[in-house]
Amino acid sequence: MLPTLFRLMLAAAAALSASPLWAAGAVVTTPQVRAELVAHAPDGVAPGKPLWLGVLIRHQPHWHTYWKNPGDSGLPTTVEWALPTGVTAGDIAWPTPRKLPIGPLMNYGYEDTVLLPVPLTVAPAFNGAQLDVTLKAEWLVCKDVCIPESGEFALSVPAQAATGGHAALFDAARAALPRAVPGATAKAAVEGDAVVVQVEGLPAAWRGRTLVFLPETAGVIANAAPQQAAWNGERWQTRVPLDPQRSESPTAMPAVLVAASADGQPAPVDGAAGLAVTVSVTTPWPQASSTPGAPVAAIAPAAPVPSTAPNAAGGSALGLPMALLFALIGGALLNLMPCVFPVLSLKVLGLAAPGSRGRLASGVAYSAGVVVSFVALAALLISLRAGGEQLGWGFQLQNPYVVAGLAALFTLIGLNLAGVYEIGSLLPNRLACARAEHPVADDLLTGVLAVAVAAPCTAPFMGAAMGVAMTLPPVQGLAIFAALGVGMSLPYLLLATSPALARRLPRPGVWMQHFKVLMAFPMLGTVIWLVWVLGQQVGIDGAAALLGALLALAFCAWALGSPTLGRKGHLWFGAASAFALLVALAWALPSLAPNGGAHARAVTAEDHWQPWSPARVAELNGQGKAVFVDYTAAWCVTCQFNKRTVLRQPAVLDDFARRGVVPMRADWTRRDPAITAELQRLNRTGVPVYALYRPGHDAPLLLTEILSVQEVRDALATLN
Amino acid sequence: MKPAALLVTLMATALAGSAGMSRAAATVGSPAPAFTATDTQGRPVSLADHKGKTVVLEWVNPGCPYVQKHYGAGNMQGTQKAATARGVVWLTINSTHAAHGDYRAPAQMASWMQGQQAAATATLMDADGKVGRAYGARTTPHLYVIDTSGKLAYAGAIDSKATANPADIAGATNHVNAALSELLAGKPVTVAQTRAYGCSVKYDGAL
Repeated sequence: MLPTLFRLMLAAAAALSASPLWAAGAVVTTPQVRAELVAHAPDGVAPGKPLWLGVLIRHQPHWHTYWKNPGDSGLPTTVEWALPTGVTAGDIAWPTPRKLPIGPLMNYGYEDTVLLPVPLTVAPAFNGAQLDVTLKAEWLVCKDVCIPESGEFALSVPAQAATGGHAALFDAARAALPRAVPGATAKAAVEGDAVVVQVEGLPAAWRGRTLVFLPETAGVIANAAPQQAAWNGERWQTRVPLDPQRSESPTAMPAVLVAASADGQPAPVDGAAGLAVTVSVTTPWPQASSTPGAPVAAIAPAAPVPSTAPNAAGGSALGLPMALLFALIGGALLNLMPCVFPVLSLKVLGLAAPGSRGRLASGVAYSAGVVVSFVALAALLISLRAGGEQLGWGFQLQNPYVVAGLAALFTLIGLNLAGVYEIGSLLPNRLACARAEHPVADDLLTGVLAVAVAAPCTAPFMGAAMGVAMTLPPVQGLAIFAALGVGMSLPYLLLATSPALARRLPRPGVWMQHFKVLMAFPMLGTVIWLVWVLGQQVGIDGAAALLGALLALAFCAWALGSPTLGRKGHLWFGAASAFALLVALAWALPSLAPNGGAHARAVTAEDHWQPWSPARVAELNGQGKAVFVDYTAAWCVTCQFNKRTVLRQPAVLDDFARRGVVPMRADWTRRDPAITAELQRLNRTGVPVYALYRPGHDAPLLLTEILSVQEVRDALATLN
Repeated sequence: MKPAALLVTLMATALAGSAGMSRAAATVGSPAPAFTATDTQGRPVSLADHKGKTVVLEWVNPGCPYVQKHYGAGNMQGTQKAATARGVVWLTINSTHAAHGDYRAPAQMASWMQGQQAAATATLMDADGKVGRAYGARTTPHLYVIDTSGKLAYAGAIDSKATANPADIAGATNHVNAALSELLAGKPVTVAQTRAYGCSVKYDGAL
């Protein structure tokens, strides 16, 4: 009996799907639903007056149609309007759905009666006596079987008279809409096979209730899996298991929160059927590991990195132990950085000096200073990112003031090494004594200083690898940074603990003074680089102003700290230099304001490269053109190296031209949320990144961080 | 992250670990779940029988309008023929529970497939839904491609237009054909996960 009934229904369905039911009027009736096109125009049809149309669906018992996100199966109802000129229809204002469990599956939709309202906008140009509307709607109606149905509707709404016969239905539909929550913030982070959603600023009446997270985006979460929700004061948090076969990776997820009643169905709270929030996804989505052929970044020769080389397949290709080992080696290599080596080498030579006592304590204190500083820096970055800041490793160099401050610091260190001034003359006597009396504290602080000095220098080389560390769970990420710190302090620690090694150090002598002065030059070299970065950010005026300030600073350091200057000299020159410094700062500071220069963008538009925009990439891909994007920043040394050795080579530019590939440059020298978002989508948090966006492919082809001409040409050769 | 929030997250993670067991294990990029089911002739068929070959799994329910869309227009059979001609194993699976109105006994199922001139390697009966649940099959049709190393390489819809209208087949991208072409050419699958569309699979308890 039952099967026969179903066959009949299916026959009806087949007829319906083949030829949509044409209704001369506003009602279409099928065995499962009665669908009607209704209007609400209490003030007639005129510009600025409220005008709503709606599809009113009355389901037979137990039949249902679907929400915007239909869940595991099903399809949302669609509407296609034919409207007179001057009248435009908005999107369906979807009422809060019901949960529709079906066996092991979960769908979202509507039973009984539902009105799907659509707002209309009337332009001043509209002057008809009536509004003639036709609508083609398609819906999938299911009970234990599913039937795709469609219908065509026609309706005339008088322009001069009120249409309000369905006012109660439209009011009910409005009440069923999820309510927007002004001031609420919602963010989500992917953690393993789940996404953790945190929402703050929910209405007081909702606090403490059992809430369920319903995303409007289909294909993201495991709809039938239980969610682990908890209130933490005013903040609500839930852990939602992801669909193992997730098909979408949204950066923003509009979602509805509903309060579950005893039967698990949404129940209104304080007159609101649900709450509408937009969840911003702060972590990159893990990519399906179905792309084993994606290029794997090489361990960069110029990059002393814990190279958990990010490959497009996502995650860490290396296990954690290997990543830690690489971090250790990378950390040791950091000692060779031009701004670290001078500080370190002098510290090491101090060990060889006669009368250096407590070597072991000194080594341990120094190591502790380094490790703690690294972990603190990483924790700061991770927590800022968790807080929704769009930051990557090296972000500090996106701020011109920070760049200028570092240039000043390196200038001072350089001048000190060169012997222009001595710290001893600058420090108050008591402080100098304290340093001597508490050598352990001094060593600890030297460790902190070494990291403070090293961090900005390393950022340009470590962007990509650090990006991987940032995508790991916090504890693992911090472990990698700690290993980096241990690696960095390792040479000093070894020398401090092994007298045999220490004995091999060259004997102290006058050459140490020469060596110290020699070390001033790489230190001042890093200042040149920083001034150039600043020039990219704020223009040549800002760079000149910084040089002026640095000169005044140098004068100041000499005047106050020169060991050969007498007491009077210190006083007079000191006063003069302080005045000079004030003047220089007054001139320099205003020109350092971020976005103060209009020059930066023009610089990036050099030669054939177009400025990057995601819309433009999509547009060109749509036209069948491939796009090569160079994600770069002025402060990224690896980027500059690649630009000179590869991206400016005629062979590469010829290949671009010959294959019709559009080269684009995304400049991350200053903060740019659009670029940060795209980098996250690509599972990176730093530059350089080189990506070839090919028509018909969702995921771009990613190249290694250290480019070669051959690699770029090979990548281009995959286009045909 | 504040300590309290961290604690909540850790606890939630621990809790979810147990909840996760009940969910579908099949994930693209991971080994496809092993299974054995009987075909319409009563013979046992295992995924392991086809080790080293590319395998397509297709969930079917002759009573579903979306299945009818693709069989009625010859699209499913065409995809099956193109695949099996290239040495791919095609297993059509019916997970409809025996108590459901759409259920067909093995003999009926075999004659329906024959009548449709289907080119599947075998048609499997999964009335208890074990295979379907292991793969997280939700809709009919729902398609999975397993590569020669036994890993799941594609999961989702047959094509890119989620409608019941056969006229939309011509303008749609056939994801299964695309995935098979890439796999057979030794390339990674570009579109590896899509949202399957169609009727829900009629599992036990779905009445």
